[in-house]
Amino acid sequence: MLKRKRAGGLVRLSQQVVLLLGLSFFIFPVFWLISSSFKHDVDIFSLPVKLLAFQPTLANFARVLETTTIPRLALNSLFTAGANVVLSLLIGTLAAYGISRRHIRGQSLLLWFLGVRMFPPIVAAVPLFMVAAALRLVDTGLILPIVHLLMNVPFTIWMMKSFIDDVPLEVEESALMDGCSHWTVLRRVVLPLIRPGLVATGVFCFIFSWNEFLLATVFTQRVATTLPIGISSFVTKEQILWGPLTASATLATLPPMALAWIFNRYLVRGLTFGAVKP
Amino acid sequence: MPRTRKTVGYALIAPAFVSLFLMTIYPLAYVVFVSLHHWAIVPLIPRVFVGFQQYISLFRDSGFYQSVSATLVYTCAAVAAEMLLGFLLAWLIAKTRMLWIRLLYLLPAVTTPVVVGLIWRFFLAYNLGPINYFLSSVGLGRVNWLGGSTAALMSIILVDIWQWTPFTLLIFLSGLESLDADPYEAAVVDGASGWQILRYVTLPLLLPVATVILLFRLLDAFKTFDIIYMVTGGGPANSTEVLSYKIWHTAFFQNRIGYAAALSIVTVVIAALLLRSLIQVMRNAIHGR
Repeated sequence: MLKRKRAGGLVRLSQQVVLLLGLSFFIFPVFWLISSSFKHDVDIFSLPVKLLAFQPTLANFARVLETTTIPRLALNSLFTAGANVVLSLLIGTLAAYGISRRHIRGQSLLLWFLGVRMFPPIVAAVPLFMVAAALRLVDTGLILPIVHLLMNVPFTIWMMKSFIDDVPLEVEESALMDGCSHWTVLRRVVLPLIRPGLVATGVFCFIFSWNEFLLATVFTQRVATTLPIGISSFVTKEQILWGPLTASATLATLPPMALAWIFNRYLVRGLTFGAVKP
Repeated sequence: MPRTRKTVGYALIAPAFVSLFLMTIYPLAYVVFVSLHHWAIVPLIPRVFVGFQQYISLFRDSGFYQSVSATLVYTCAAVAAEMLLGFLLAWLIAKTRMLWIRLLYLLPAVTTPVVVGLIWRFFLAYNLGPINYFLSSVGLGRVNWLGGSTAALMSIILVDIWQWTPFTLLIFLSGLESLDADPYEAAVVDGASGWQILRYVTLPLLLPVATVILLFRLLDAFKTFDIIYMVTGGGPANSTEVLSYKIWHTAFFQNRIGYAAALSIVTVVIAALLLRSLIQVMRNAIHGR
């Protein structure tokens, strides 16, 4: 018994070691980025890498926040990603529920939605631009939340369908028996059960839209430009302005991380426990 | 009853279907149209109808086959590693109580892709990169990460794994967290070992979510552009010129929009055929179980 306990401790220890080793691989480059944003230019490329031992400065942040359009672009990005996530989750979850529960040629529709995501954005961009120009939508706040639906709605549908499929039908049926409407069943019974999936999907839709570069360069010019474009403007033909680049890239990680942090607790297990107890 | 059931179903699907249909049908028709022409960006150069000639020369172009093979190697290697690593880490995280750790794992995914490319180009640099500095200071030789054909392909696969494992990890984790407890309780009562629970309870229950992650990672890896654009620029000797990069290069660098359009159509067809057979294989596996 004691031996078994000790072996269990060893297993747990080795699991934690694996977790921390993996973690260091995944976050070291980001730590380098963040620490570089607090450095003077001379320290950025010094070897060995100085993660902490350097003279810190806030000059890069001051420069980015005071002399560039980055703050305004951040607002544009927030609106773009926020509006797109709301729209994607709304129409995507409805469609997923429809396909999962109504069985209307679900398979071919699902494949069609996958095909939309397969379409290379660079191919869709030019013809769509001509349509958007005719509708006077280019460089307005509306255009990016709409065209980003192309990548996020298929993703939402597939994700939400796989989660809704797992909700036992009896739960829904018993709620219907109790006199709930279909809408109430979806909102009050199904959605709470699939919340981890909904949250993970929403967070990644936000990240996809937040980081999207190609469509954003095509469909915005000045007014509605988003952060990735502003950040890459520090890469010029002559040189890379590493100070402002790392500072703005560091700032750009904050909103998605804040979002993930806020919703982190909703990812936690416990919601489906005992949902279908006899 | 069945009729209203279907009507409600169509009403639920309509917003998603109509909006995406409107946004894809015109581009698709346009690309097919352009692919049948010699077409330069500059409108002054006459656009000539050439039929399927560009498709024919495409299939005679050895660069095209090299590009297909680079794309397939890149996609398969990166996605396989991301699925395994993502599941392993998610499984380990789900067993601990360390909630904060999943936030830290998310950092690569929230970093702007252009910046990811720049960071890794610097990290992998031969002379001034931190990785080679570390290797040579502990007595191992420097590695020419981006110099050789194979090494460069391996290096961008590594970057893809770095950027996208957080995605597979977090979604596996949300799948693990929403699993029903009952099968576990039953398995524990029956005296199943940890390994048996993983093999016969967890993995089958995770199959639907794993399928979604697999399909979307395959699609996205298949059309990767930013990493290659920033880290290798398709080189050395076109060894990392994946299809989406080749499309971009042909269209905007060589100014052959028509040829690039034909290449896009063929790319989409290849991806569709591969996905179809993959879905078929998976469906058989699930039903054969």
